[in-house]
Amino acid sequence: MPFPIMPELENPFQETLLQRHRAEPCTVVIFGATGDLTNRKLIPALYNVAAEGDLPPQFKVVGFARRDKSDDVFRQELEEGNRKNSRQGHSDELWASFSQSIHYHRSEFEDLEGYKALAELLNKFDEERGAPANRLFYLASAPEAFKPILEMLREAGLSQGVNGKWARVVCEKPFGKDLATARGLNETVAGTFEEKDTYRIDHYLGKETAQNIMVLRFANALFEPNWNSRYIDHVQITCAENLGMEGGRGGYYDTAGALRDMVQNHLFQLLSLVAMEPPTDLSADSVRDEKVKVIRALRPLVGPEAVGANVIRAQYTAGSVDGVSRVGYRQEDRVNPESKTEAYVALRLFVDTWRWQGVPFYIRVGKQLPKKATEISVHFKKPPQVPFATARLPGSSENTLVIRIQPDEGIALRILCKQPGQALSMQQVKMDFRYSGSFGKASPEAYERLLLDAMAGDATLFARRDEVESAWKFIDELEHAWHKSPNPPPMCEYPAGSWGPKEADDLLRQDGREWRLL
Amino acid sequence: MPLTEDTLSCLGAEVPLPKIDRALKELWSSDEAKTRASLINFAIYSEDPDSIVKNSEQMSRITDDNACRALLITCLPEVKPQRARAWINALCRPYQGKQVVCSEQISFVLEGGDAAQVQNVVFAHLDSDLPLIVWWQGDLTKNFEERFYSRIDTLIIDSGRWTDPVSEFAGLVAAKEVADFDVRDLSWTRSHFLRTALANSFQDAKAREHLPLVENIEITHAPGQRCAALLLAGWICQRLGASLDEKKEGLVFSKADGSTLTISLTEKSQGCALQSLRLTAPCLEVSITREGASAFVHTHASCEGHSHEEILPADVVGDAELISEQLSRAGGSTHYSHVLPLIQPMLARLS
Repeated sequence: MPFPIMPELENPFQETLLQRHRAEPCTVVIFGATGDLTNRKLIPALYNVAAEGDLPPQFKVVGFARRDKSDDVFRQELEEGNRKNSRQGHSDELWASFSQSIHYHRSEFEDLEGYKALAELLNKFDEERGAPANRLFYLASAPEAFKPILEMLREAGLSQGVNGKWARVVCEKPFGKDLATARGLNETVAGTFEEKDTYRIDHYLGKETAQNIMVLRFANALFEPNWNSRYIDHVQITCAENLGMEGGRGGYYDTAGALRDMVQNHLFQLLSLVAMEPPTDLSADSVRDEKVKVIRALRPLVGPEAVGANVIRAQYTAGSVDGVSRVGYRQEDRVNPESKTEAYVALRLFVDTWRWQGVPFYIRVGKQLPKKATEISVHFKKPPQVPFATARLPGSSENTLVIRIQPDEGIALRILCKQPGQALSMQQVKMDFRYSGSFGKASPEAYERLLLDAMAGDATLFARRDEVESAWKFIDELEHAWHKSPNPPPMCEYPAGSWGPKEADDLLRQDGREWRLL
Repeated sequence: MPLTEDTLSCLGAEVPLPKIDRALKELWSSDEAKTRASLINFAIYSEDPDSIVKNSEQMSRITDDNACRALLITCLPEVKPQRARAWINALCRPYQGKQVVCSEQISFVLEGGDAAQVQNVVFAHLDSDLPLIVWWQGDLTKNFEERFYSRIDTLIIDSGRWTDPVSEFAGLVAAKEVADFDVRDLSWTRSHFLRTALANSFQDAKAREHLPLVENIEITHAPGQRCAALLLAGWICQRLGASLDEKKEGLVFSKADGSTLTISLTEKSQGCALQSLRLTAPCLEVSITREGASAFVHTHASCEGHSHEEILPADVVGDAELISEQLSRAGGSTHYSHVLPLIQPMLARLS
């Protein structure tokens, strides 16, 4: 049913109350709606957004999946998931209202008729609203289904907004498995949606502390003047996981590995935020322009020798984490017993810009490490020690700024202080800011923030096409050296429950440095 | 009612004024608290001796969500001779099952206390470099003078509890002209959920199209919450570009196109502070209602044959929760400042 295009009048009540854009009425269509992500993250996130009163009016969710089920059954399944996973708990009253906005649509991903029927359903919602609504298509399916879904959306005429309304797509990771597939996927997306309507999600960017990196750097005169090679010795980014391939995850992980699963997206995003130049403003493209420059400025590691000298890959062997025995990586469920996939990777990277000349960025990520923690540590250079030449110094005496991404989000600054007493001895002390201690309210889940941003048209916290492709271009060289060169760098080993292979320690030791003890 | 030692025991350990800092240090070294947290200096100021126990409980609840240097000030200007007493306490809350995050509370009872005494005694114990937020309870008395409010970053009041709102608002406006502090009015905070729901209702393009045609605004409020209702009405009119019609009696506003907007307030004894808001135009009706102490508000909008309903969160109702809500929300009070000039003439119309 055609609707007249109405002039876009300002909502005088909204602009005075809110410091962020709000979405007009919209429908979110989730592809892969019966999957774990929808049940565990997306619906609880939308529910919590509703609990905060931030959902747009007349909001609708349509779950699109292959299995046959009714709206009621779908709602019941999601209610169970919400009870378990909702950050703010579960209110029967709110769920009763919120769940009325949830619908289920059964179709194969490749079946055009299913998309035509979806279009009819969306039009029916618009008729009920009395006005056309915006449409957000969320690709939460397996990545191989992205292409047919996008093509079908275009074929069914769903990729264009109706009567001045927008149509956007959110793509879950992994966005490709190498540069070629990412480019292919980007071409498909570009053939269906404009880049401004494409939101490549990286949930790390939705985390409060990741967003705080820009504030910390650019809003504090204390740090920004020192944020360069003159004062910073090196930067470490660690993402440690104390789990292995539980829950059948080995099937996917063994085809990806730590480098593609974590480094190409999450850790490069964190690296960009740490190393980027100040954006001219906080618009999505200004921020992303600066971030992509960092990825482009990464010194390429080409060939097995360069890769072997700067990148350590490893698999865990049997060991124990928290006193619980763990099998080795190759013995994990759904992992090839002769797998050549890395469960750990450590990299020494250089960002070849004026600001970062000569400053190494050490990145490590791995499974079955002693604890779960993601953090960035900025290690400052030591000042001239002349006045304290005879003083007793602790083993590690540089100032360190630690940005804890998860868990226990916060910032700590390690400085030297004189130890009380007659002798001039110095000791490291820590100034510690914890979100949990200082702010009583829990931070919203990353998906809450990102879903709202996608509905409101703010792409700042989403990866742009050139960011994704630049990252893959860098990663491809490493993968090539590992898997396609005649003399690939070795696959190292570490016992589960340790902090990684000895070779990763050596990577820093040869530079006179060591990994931060988490 | 005179203060008794029994009443004062809720404030913690009494310490001589000159030894407050040392006593706080000892408190932290002996207590099992692991983290002393502070983002602000937060003071509750009251001249009502009967409020001390309640305020101590309020402070405990507020520090659950807001780490601060907590200052409880009970000023008794009429009591002679002048005397100042202080107590310290740690307000701890559990985190991951342990008592680890604590705020420190210093309570003062200032007998014969005037503004100078408050300045000399209380302001000497602020956590330096952190902003000072004062919740001033009750009327703005003679102690609310420049020496006091010039040190404040944010003043929290509750205009709904003023005995003479017209003169109190006048005093507040005069103080704001002298000193640059933010004002947060709990009567204004109470309408937050209605304002948010109203904004949400007009996200709908069709409803928005009819918004300039709104003729009537009806607000139902609880006894003693007239200020909250008037602030809400004033805000809506201000956002619609309407000004109080000087030629008409009552709360009639005129819009730029010459049409009028009539405000009706209804007092209803049952229910929360603000119970409903209804906007009507020839082809539009938007109503927002909150039943009893429900945690949600229901919105209903009908326009040209289409209608829809939503459920949205309602705000908290308790004073401590309202304060926490204020403290957790960043940003200034620009919108309230814009409504402030409207409130006095509106009150005058009703008096």
